[in-house]
Amino acid sequence: MSDLAKRLDLNRALSVLGPFIGLILVMGLFAVLAPDRFVSAYNLKTIVTQTVIVALGAIGMTWVIIGGGIDLSVGSVIALSSVAAALFVRDGYSPAIAIVVGVVVGASVGALNGALITGLRVVPFIVTLGTMLMARGVAKWLGDEQKVDVPETWLDTVMSKNPDPSWLVLSPGVWTTLILAVVMAFALRRTVIGTHTIAVGSNEDTARLCGVRVSRVKIILYGIAGSFAGLAGVMQLGRLTVGDPTTAIGLELDIIAAVVIGGGSLSGGRGSILGSMIGAFLMAVLANGCTLTGVPNYVREILTGAIIIAAVAVDGLRQRPR
Amino acid sequence: MNVMRKNLTISGLWGALLLSGLWAGGCDCSEGDGASGEGDGMRTIAVIPKGTTHEFWKSIHAGAIKAGRELSVEILWQGPLREDDRSDQVRVVEDVISRGVDAIVLAPLDDAALVPPAREAVAEGIPVLIIDSDLDWDGRVSFVATDNMEGGRLAARRLGELLGGEGKVLMMRYQEGSASTMRREEGFLEAMRADFPNIELVSTNQYGGATTESAFATGEGLLVSHEDLDGIFTPNESTTFGMLRALRDADRAGTVKLVGFDSSASLARALSEGHVHGLVLQQPFRMGELGVRTAVAHLEGREVDARIDTGVTVVTVDNMDDPEIRDLLVPDLSEWLD
Repeated sequence: MSDLAKRLDLNRALSVLGPFIGLILVMGLFAVLAPDRFVSAYNLKTIVTQTVIVALGAIGMTWVIIGGGIDLSVGSVIALSSVAAALFVRDGYSPAIAIVVGVVVGASVGALNGALITGLRVVPFIVTLGTMLMARGVAKWLGDEQKVDVPETWLDTVMSKNPDPSWLVLSPGVWTTLILAVVMAFALRRTVIGTHTIAVGSNEDTARLCGVRVSRVKIILYGIAGSFAGLAGVMQLGRLTVGDPTTAIGLELDIIAAVVIGGGSLSGGRGSILGSMIGAFLMAVLANGCTLTGVPNYVREILTGAIIIAAVAVDGLRQRPR
Repeated sequence: MNVMRKNLTISGLWGALLLSGLWAGGCDCSEGDGASGEGDGMRTIAVIPKGTTHEFWKSIHAGAIKAGRELSVEILWQGPLREDDRSDQVRVVEDVISRGVDAIVLAPLDDAALVPPAREAVAEGIPVLIIDSDLDWDGRVSFVATDNMEGGRLAARRLGELLGGEGKVLMMRYQEGSASTMRREEGFLEAMRADFPNIELVSTNQYGGATTESAFATGEGLLVSHEDLDGIFTPNESTTFGMLRALRDADRAGTVKLVGFDSSASLARALSEGHVHGLVLQQPFRMGELGVRTAVAHLEGREVDARIDTGVTVVTVDNMDDPEIRDLLVPDLSEWLD
C-alpha cells in the first residue's frame, strides 16, 4: 500500500517536473539572449505581477479540468466582473465592496454554468461557449458599450509593483494569488469536495455509484472557477484602472493552456495547481522575454503554440501504459 | 530505470523546443538594425503602437526607423498581439521599462488604462511621448498626432458635398474607448449637423470593432437594415475596408458614397474604381518620424512643443495622382521595412 502511495507521489512529482524543466529552459534562453535585462529583480517582479490574472483563472480552471469539464466563459467573466466592480467603485462604494461584487458576479455565472450543464445535460464546452457570449454581452451592456472610468482608490495599488508598505516586496495581488493557490491545492487533495472532484473527473459513473452527488459537485466546481475568474476581473480592474468590457478576449485559451502545460488532462482526473501556476508563469515569461529581446509578436505566438503541444506530448509519453 | 528513460525523453523534447527558440531569436538578431547596439552607447527608443498588423502602424514604424537611422538611435518596435488588448499593451510598456530604454514613444490604446505604466516609466526616469491617441495624463513630453476632430469635419464636408446636402447617412463607429476615432466621430457629427441640416443621420451607434472581419459583419447588418442609404462614414482603416467589403458584397459599392479614414493599397484601388469616394489621410509616416525626433530632441535637452499637429488631407479620385498625395496614399515603405 505504501509502495503504491510512493509510486503515486513520484508520478505526481514527475508531472510537475516536465513544465518545470520547460520553465527553466525558457528562462535560461532569455537569460542568455538578454542577460542584463531579463535577469533583474525588477523584471522578475514585473513578470510575477503580469502572471496574476491568468494564474487566478488557472486555479479555478484546474479544478474544472480535473473534474472532467472545461470553462470557456472565464475570459468574458473577467470582463463582466471588472465592469461590475468598476460600476460600484464609480458610484462611490468602497473598493472592498467592489471586490466582493466582482467575486459574487463571477461565482453566479459559474454556478449558472454548473446548473445548465447538469440540468440541461448539455456538454460543458457548449454551455460555457454560450455563457461566454452572454457574459461578454452583459458586460458591454452594463458598461453602456464603453469602458467604465473609476476614481483613484486603493484598488489601483493591488497590482502595483511597488507595494505600500514596501516590506511586502510583491504586490498584494501576487500574495493573494500565491495564498489562494496553496489553499486550493491543499483543498483539492484533502477535502471532500476536492476528492469528489477528482473522482468525478476520473470516472463519473463510478463516482455516482460510490455515492458522490455528481450534479452538486459540478455546480460547486464551476462556481469555484467563476469566483476565481471574478477575482481575476477585479485584479484586471486594479491593473487597468478602468472597467473594460472588451478586456480578456481569448484569455480563457491562455488559462486553459496554462493548465494543460502544467499537466492537466482534458479527459479529466489529472492536473495540479502547482503545475498550472508554472504553466501560467511560463507563458508570462515568454511574453516578457519576447518583448525584451525585441522579437516580433508572431514568434511569441508560434513559440507558445509549440510549448503547448510539446507539453502535452511529453505528458502523453509519461502516461503511456507500461 | 524506467523513470530515468522518461526523464531523458522529457528533457529531449524541451531541448528541441529550446533550439527552435534559439533559432527564432537568433534569426531576428541577424536582421541588421542592431538589436545589440547597446554596448556602444547608442540610444534606444521604444516605439509602442496599438497593434502591428494595420498598414497605418507599418507607416509609423517606417517613419520611426527613418528618424532612428538619421539620428543613430536604435528603435525597439513592440506592440500588443491584438489591436484592442489594453492589458497586453500595459504589459508591453512594463516590459520595455523593465528592459531599460532611453525614451518611450507610445500610441495608447486607452486614454486611462495606460496612465499607470506611463507614470511608472517616468518614475523610472524614462520620458514618455504620446503619439496618435491622447492619454489623460499631463506627464508626457509631447503629444504628436493628427487633429482628429478636424479630420472628422473634413470627412463630413466631403460627404455632404458629394450628396449635395441631402440624403440619408450613417456612421459606423470603430471601437468603444478609442480616443482618436471617437474624436473623428465627434468631429464628423458636429460638422454634419452644423453644415448639412438636411442630411438625415440614420445610424450612429454601431461599432465595427477592432478587426476588418467584425467591421465587415457589422457593415453587412447595417446595409441590410438601411436599404435607402446615400452615404457612409467610417473612422479608420479597418472599418472602412470592412464596410467596403460589405458594400461590394451587397452590390452597392459606388452607389452608396463611402468616405473613410486612412489608407491601404486596397483602399487606394477602391478609390480609383469609384467604390470609395473620399479618404481622410493622416500622415503616419510623419507621425512616427516626428515622434522619435521629438523624443531625441527632448533627450538632448532641447525645448519641445507640447502639441505637434501632423496634419490631415482629404484624398479623392481627382487629386489621388498628385505626387505628394500619392506618397500618403500608397507610401513606399520598402526602403525602411524589409
